[in-house]
Amino acid sequence: MKKNMRFAKILDTGVTYLILAVVAFIFFFPCLWLILASFSASGSIYSFDGFFPSEYSLAAFQKLFTDTALYNYPKWFFNTLYIAAGSCVLSTFLTILTAYTMSRFTFRMRKPIMKTTMVLGMFPSFMSMTAVYLLMTQFGLINQRWGLILIYAAGAPMGYLTQKGFFDTIPRAIDEAAKIDGATNFQIFTKINLPLSKPIIVYTALTSFTWPWSDFILPKLLLKERDYYTVAVGLMGLDETEFARFAAGSVFIAVPIVILYFFLVRDMVNGMASGAVKG
Amino acid sequence: MKEKWKRFTDAVRQSSWRVRLSAVVMGSGQFLYKRYGKGLIYFLSEIAVIAYFIIRGGSDLAGFFTLGTVKGDAWLGTEGDNSVIMMLMGIFAWIVLAVFLLLYVSNLKDAWMSQKLDEAGREQPKFRRELAQLLDRKFYVTVLALPVLGVCIFNILPIVFMILIAFTNYGGAIVPPELVDWIGFSNFTKLVTLSQFAPTFFKILGWNLIWAAASTALNYFAGLGLALLLNKDCVKGKAIWRAFPILAYAIPGFITLVAFKFMFSYGGPINQLIVDAGGTAVGFLGLDAKWTARLIGLLVNCWISVPSIMLLATGHLSNRDMSLYEAAKIDGATPFQQFRKLTLPFMLFATTPVLLGQFIGNFNNFGIFYFLRGGLYVDGYFLASDTDLLINWLYNLSIDNNYYCIGAAISLVIFLITSMLSLIVYVKSPSYREEDTFQ
Repeated sequence: MKKNMRFAKILDTGVTYLILAVVAFIFFFPCLWLILASFSASGSIYSFDGFFPSEYSLAAFQKLFTDTALYNYPKWFFNTLYIAAGSCVLSTFLTILTAYTMSRFTFRMRKPIMKTTMVLGMFPSFMSMTAVYLLMTQFGLINQRWGLILIYAAGAPMGYLTQKGFFDTIPRAIDEAAKIDGATNFQIFTKINLPLSKPIIVYTALTSFTWPWSDFILPKLLLKERDYYTVAVGLMGLDETEFARFAAGSVFIAVPIVILYFFLVRDMVNGMASGAVKG
Repeated sequence: MKEKWKRFTDAVRQSSWRVRLSAVVMGSGQFLYKRYGKGLIYFLSEIAVIAYFIIRGGSDLAGFFTLGTVKGDAWLGTEGDNSVIMMLMGIFAWIVLAVFLLLYVSNLKDAWMSQKLDEAGREQPKFRRELAQLLDRKFYVTVLALPVLGVCIFNILPIVFMILIAFTNYGGAIVPPELVDWIGFSNFTKLVTLSQFAPTFFKILGWNLIWAAASTALNYFAGLGLALLLNKDCVKGKAIWRAFPILAYAIPGFITLVAFKFMFSYGGPINQLIVDAGGTAVGFLGLDAKWTARLIGLLVNCWISVPSIMLLATGHLSNRDMSLYEAAKIDGATPFQQFRKLTLPFMLFATTPVLLGQFIGNFNNFGIFYFLRGGLYVDGYFLASDTDLLINWLYNLSIDNNYYCIGAAISLVIFLITSMLSLIVYVKSPSYREEDTFQ
């Protein structure tokens, strides 16, 4: 009997590790494939030997940055950086302020605003995209990078719930004490709460940076000129003969994000969990 | 309500001529109570609004209903009305009108407050003090002004515009300089009756529902299973095992999708292996690959979404009450029974909002088939392929082919379906009804 139990346990452990290994393989293999492909010498997917390149070199990366006549990757990269950085600054500013206000103040419009954002959130963002597209065409804002920044930043405060959850946890006793000492609400925010909320500011800044960094719908819709493309739009246009170039471009833009995620995974999980709790 | 009404009528009866004057000339009441700064602001805003409505606001409001009467003619050189601009300016005029009404009411309330203070013999508030309040007691007004303005312009205005478009005949041949007209609900009836749209609409709607249900269930149970597996005591080096899904989670979605498209393409590695083994290349995502393409979409979506669900489930799993499991073990429950009776109910309870979000996200999953099979039009479908979801069809119709009004009607249908589902789940699910079941 006892021996049987031990055998079952070993079997259980073995099967668990087997499944884990398979899962790890499934998740890792496509990444490995892409990374190796970016070092392929020939470039076209047709000259691959099954999954892997037949010869390795750095040619794809070199081509990515020097052969810019048709596919101007450096330009795309700076466009992406410009849009992501711009909307990161604006979105963080607006989101933090909104979340702080919704957490600390009770005023007549508070509940209506919260309910309105909930209903607006039910309109999938893509659905108003056609309208945004029409509006932008009417106002001549097609091919304007700052137009994209405006749209990203304006939509950002809608996702204030995670940040509000954070501010809810900062004890109000500090505020009360400062108020007795004659501080205005503006001073309480800038002098007391802002220094305390560094983690959530970092989190907000990173999430609002990564979203435009990897978004493709909005740039695809609003940036029609090759020179204004972001990396996402540009890479989408590459075909099978340019596979190595696509792989190299992807690796180059994915690596910073992957590193950020590994540092931030704990905050991400907390953010997702608290964002899931109803407002 | 009744009390409010009584207060209102009392205020109307008791108000002084100063307050009544400011019902006609905004700000005059404040002025007469020696609050020059605020009075001037109210007065100027009234002048500005009246000027706006005289100069163009009035005709904009009218234009909202007519959507243009003069058609442009290049031969005669007449400049026609642009219906789309007219609709936009019309919406804008309505917004100005609404803001003005709010301002008007606040003007009267403010003047009434001044009268009260005056009767009580108290001092009137100084304008500078009131401005300083914007950084203190009314700090929220200062702070929220910008975000609210942004959301109004870039979220609410497009949504209102889109809803209105669904009730016009805008699109196809009817784009400016042609005149657009209001046509009521006929876009919706066209969608379900016209032989051009109806078969495609119902086929896509059916597949969309299957897709959303199947992919949500698959992702959810795969993610939950993976989290449970990683949570087992016998697994050593959890951080390392967890790193692989996180890697997949961190890669931008468009890269993953394009890469998988290459993997399954005609010249891709999988077909190369098949050819090397003596077979013929398979068009996994080709024109007539209905079910293989759907299956690949389902699995690729799984690859993308499972890691996030795994991370979330891991967080929730550590919140379980482990004493329940001890008790179950003593009572002789098998691991499977523990999962069925303890883990699953708890997880379903804790993650209902996430599950709902996943379902809606999958229902509107634009990326998957746009990247895997974008731009493919299949026979029997109107401007769509047999893997396209409603959101893809909406994109094909309105962005690629200018069928704006039909696209807008479809987006309203999508909104109705998703909001209805959310509402039902909100009302029915225990995680909203009994907040303390698992606390």
